[in-house]
Amino acid sequence: MSAVGLIQRLAPGVRWARRLAQIAFIVIGIATVNFFLLHLAPGDAAEVMAGEAGAATPEFMAALREQFGLDQPLYIQFGKYLGNVLTLNLGYSFRQGLPVSRLILDRLPATALLMAASITFALVAGAALGFLAARRAGHLTDTIISVIALLFYATPVFWIGVVLIVIFSVWLDWLPVGGMATIEAGYQGTAYALDVGRHLVLPAVTLGLFHLAIYTRLTRASMLQIYGQDFVRTAVAKGVAPGRIAVRHVLRNALLPIVTMLGMQLGSILGGAILVETVFSWPGLGRLAFEALFQRDLNLLLGILLASSILVVVVNIAVDLAYGFLDPRVEIS
Amino acid sequence: MGTLTSLPVAKVRRAREGMRLRVNSSALTGGIILALILVGAAAAPALYPGDPLDMAASPFIWPGTDPAYPLGTDMLGRDIAAGILHGARVSLLIGLVATLVSIAIGVTFGALAGFYGGRIDWALMRATELVQTIPPFLFALAIVAILQPSVPTIVIAIGLTAWPSLARLVRAEVLRLRNSDFVQASISVGASHRRIILLDILPNTFAPVIVSASILIASAILTESSLAFLGLGDPNVASWGGMVGAGREVLRTDWYVATLPGLAIVAAVLGLNLLGDGLNDLLDVRR
Amino acid sequence: MISRRSFGSAVALSTLVFAAGLRRPGHASEEPRRGGTLNAIIQPEPVSLTAAVLAAAPTGIVGGNIFDGLVKYDRDLKPQPELATRWEISPDSRTITFHLREGVTWHDGQPFTSADVAWSLENVWKPLNPRNPALFRNIARADTPDSHTVIFHLTEPSIALFSMLNGNGAQILPKHLYEGTNVLTNPYNLKPVGTGPFVFKEWVKGSHILLERNPHYWDVGKPYLDRIVFRVIPDGAARAATLEKGEIHYAPLSPIPLRDAERLAKLPTIKVGTEGYDWLTSWLYLDFNVNSEPFKDTRVRRAVAHAIDKDALIKVVWFGFGKAAVSPIPSSLKAFHNPDVPLYPFDPKRAEALLDEAGLKRGPDGIRFTITHDYLPYGEDYRRTGEFVKAALKRIGIEVTLRGQDTAAFTRRVYGDRDFQLASSWSSTFPDPQIGVTRLYTSEFVGRNIPWSNGSGFRNAETDAIFKAAATEPDPAKRIAAWKRFQVIAQTELPTLPLVELKFFNVYAAKLRNAVTRGDQIFGPLTEAWLDEPAKSQ
Repeated sequence: MSAVGLIQRLAPGVRWARRLAQIAFIVIGIATVNFFLLHLAPGDAAEVMAGEAGAATPEFMAALREQFGLDQPLYIQFGKYLGNVLTLNLGYSFRQGLPVSRLILDRLPATALLMAASITFALVAGAALGFLAARRAGHLTDTIISVIALLFYATPVFWIGVVLIVIFSVWLDWLPVGGMATIEAGYQGTAYALDVGRHLVLPAVTLGLFHLAIYTRLTRASMLQIYGQDFVRTAVAKGVAPGRIAVRHVLRNALLPIVTMLGMQLGSILGGAILVETVFSWPGLGRLAFEALFQRDLNLLLGILLASSILVVVVNIAVDLAYGFLDPRVEIS
Repeated sequence: MGTLTSLPVAKVRRAREGMRLRVNSSALTGGIILALILVGAAAAPALYPGDPLDMAASPFIWPGTDPAYPLGTDMLGRDIAAGILHGARVSLLIGLVATLVSIAIGVTFGALAGFYGGRIDWALMRATELVQTIPPFLFALAIVAILQPSVPTIVIAIGLTAWPSLARLVRAEVLRLRNSDFVQASISVGASHRRIILLDILPNTFAPVIVSASILIASAILTESSLAFLGLGDPNVASWGGMVGAGREVLRTDWYVATLPGLAIVAAVLGLNLLGDGLNDLLDVRR
Repeated sequence: MISRRSFGSAVALSTLVFAAGLRRPGHASEEPRRGGTLNAIIQPEPVSLTAAVLAAAPTGIVGGNIFDGLVKYDRDLKPQPELATRWEISPDSRTITFHLREGVTWHDGQPFTSADVAWSLENVWKPLNPRNPALFRNIARADTPDSHTVIFHLTEPSIALFSMLNGNGAQILPKHLYEGTNVLTNPYNLKPVGTGPFVFKEWVKGSHILLERNPHYWDVGKPYLDRIVFRVIPDGAARAATLEKGEIHYAPLSPIPLRDAERLAKLPTIKVGTEGYDWLTSWLYLDFNVNSEPFKDTRVRRAVAHAIDKDALIKVVWFGFGKAAVSPIPSSLKAFHNPDVPLYPFDPKRAEALLDEAGLKRGPDGIRFTITHDYLPYGEDYRRTGEFVKAALKRIGIEVTLRGQDTAAFTRRVYGDRDFQLASSWSSTFPDPQIGVTRLYTSEFVGRNIPWSNGSGFRNAETDAIFKAAATEPDPAKRIAAWKRFQVIAQTELPTLPLVELKFFNVYAAKLRNAVTRGDQIFGPLTEAWLDEPAKSQ
């Protein structure tokens, strides 16, 4: 067995060890940075709860602080938190009276569904529009597509959301205003899935429209770049049909930067979800994070931030792996 | 050989020609839009002296119904035209300064990491990755909530969350330049690192940074409006985001209150992106 | 007091007061119809559903359907039988005997008895009531001679106690589920077991809370509704859209922007009303920090009072939903309200004269001095109130810098650090000012980081003495005289400037009937409410 072969065999293991180390580093780093950053915020959870009650007594406040563990010095709180995180325990949300992991897992499906739907929409529609624009590069179609995509990019997300509600929900009455399901109907099985689907359309489109512009432009640009490369010229020389070249050779290779972009955009989509979940009453993580911030429910907020950071890292690792399948050199050989 | 000149290559050529045309037209369109906004911002104090937040007239005067208030008034009787012009100053300022903050951090990180490599590179890039994993908008929200909303804190929050992509961009450029002949020449004559970075390397990263900057300004303006939508704007100044945020409550009855400043945001973001596109192709000599 | 963020847009436009839900049973020509699901909005999402441990408004609105009180309050705020069928007060006002309703069961089937009441008094009301535990600590002990009689022995007479005995102010928790646990963290706070007309079914956080009809409710035949779904809808525009479409039938707590309320009230399918909040009686005010410049000087506080045109504020910012407030006890508390207090009519000239007198002359730039104003961070209406105050004070030469912040920062700044000059807030009085007004003026609470307490830092021996005496005064007439005297002092010293008597509104579907039948309806059950199907009315 040659030395090179040995390294090639070891490489995946080493790569995975490095990835795990990267995740561990991110977890500790994020936990530390966010813990101290968030504890700079004025006011604490007990004050927020007393504030919402509209009334409080010193005894009531003291009881809340003790229950929340806020009566302890910050470094002890931090030590406990870090210890918990390293044993994969995200702690307890005293405000909600539930473990943080349970709260996150309860809301994760809604956000995952929203993100998956909007990314799919943005990717498919964006790639299609970009493909069309590249095929018609320099024509009127190209210009119109580019301008429309840019307009969606430039319009505030919340604004698009409210306008879509007015048009499709109030005026046309095609789709529900918000929420995730028609609760009182008590749908089961397929009927429930269809019902959720109807509720999903507007929020997914709203969140997707912003990113649609990015994928449209990216697809167009990378397709045009790839048209100029040797292997495309070769394909043309071999007499492959233009449509087949566009799809099999060019589009497929243009997907590489698009997938990369997907990994980079994930955090931004999560952030955008806060606005969309607010406008459409979508019971997801973004909204939960936003509320946790204002309620000084720091355990919960730290948990969500940590979870989303890990998600971003994991997706980027997945993107790395996807490279293997999409690498253009594989296609050429 | 005849086949080589057939469709795809012709397409590429036409695309390139089209692109050049588009480059010029998009840079031009973007430039004109931005120039108009800048003129408006500059003229604001002359056209509308006094505080744009003053309750100047009765509430809900619709645009075009009173010549004194061409764009109407909002729910407190504030002049929307005055608000949009003064708001241009604030929104552009927020976008510009936040972007400068991002550039300062991003270029420093990218330049040091790219130039020195090794452990410094490792440490700076891990820090960059760390920030990059936090959803930027959520991060900005948290910072504004902690520092309390005002123009400086909004600027800091946006600036602190937008730099990682710039750091990576600059690092890549610096890595490329570091091995170039002229940098190697400077090193061999014993020029100080600071001198090499500041005088030899950074000026050559100028083009991609300026292109990124136009996009960053645009997204800072959008972020400011999103913060204002969630109630985290500065109440002491008229900004576009703040006006949209305040106007959304009356969207169904008096749509113009939120829509007019919203159009200003769209115009500015559009202008900056078009300009960025144009600059990208004009300045990027490698393609 | 009730929770606050929700009240983003509190209103009381006279033209919007409709008869929805007001039809009293005797007047209704139609027979109540059984059945149907009521879709309601709850905003913001509650933290707990048990008002005994958290007095926030959303908790009270949802939990009010699950629990009963010893008494309920009618539209005139008189106590009426609920779980207590009758009660007697001893001649010395120190002993109160409640006779409890027989045959009432908790939702889990256990019988409701006097032991539940006595246990709740000792373990919940006395240690944990956030509004006024002193009211309950005054009850030295509770005897339970039999399973349906409970006797309170009071240390001192207490008239105010009778304003706090409904299912919100003194919520009875099931002893068999709470005994021996930490009441604050008991899991039943999130899935409550009560005796009320609706049974808790499920709570999907961030989405909805589902309640179902209690088939064993003691008020036989009621409630009329089969189900209530409280949906969480965070955005005001979306709330208005659901109401407009008819997806939602009932939305309490001023759920939509004022301007939208105006618009929706004109639709035939929707009614807007301001009833059902009588038990709260809320008012908006400005707190001056009397410990710091420039508001140490009473003349400066009075100048600010003269500079603000309350009627214009109500018209422009509150869309007419409110009434100018002249004293800390709103005029709707007719017995206690004192109109004969120093008034500060809108008079900028007088304001400027007062400032000149205080030595705060206009500078060359026309500015006398600059202050900061922390407005209550409960949404647009409060922010616009701050913007209005800023514009008003600018006219008399005071430059105002508005400070926006979130609620946690606001309460810490005003009630803890006292690092402010002028702050706005609102408060509920309840039927007796001892409950809601004392806390805003007593020196006991200054700077102790207790939200919505004495923000101004006012300390006055005479008012402190009035609070003490009025709390134990058994003669109603003497108490009223003391409270009237308090208002004169408060308006003379002016540590707090009353601005608006707020009125909150509900939005209903026109087909919802009898949604408001009691004075504490906002925190009470929808026992009498029913849905009139449009098909039938044709």
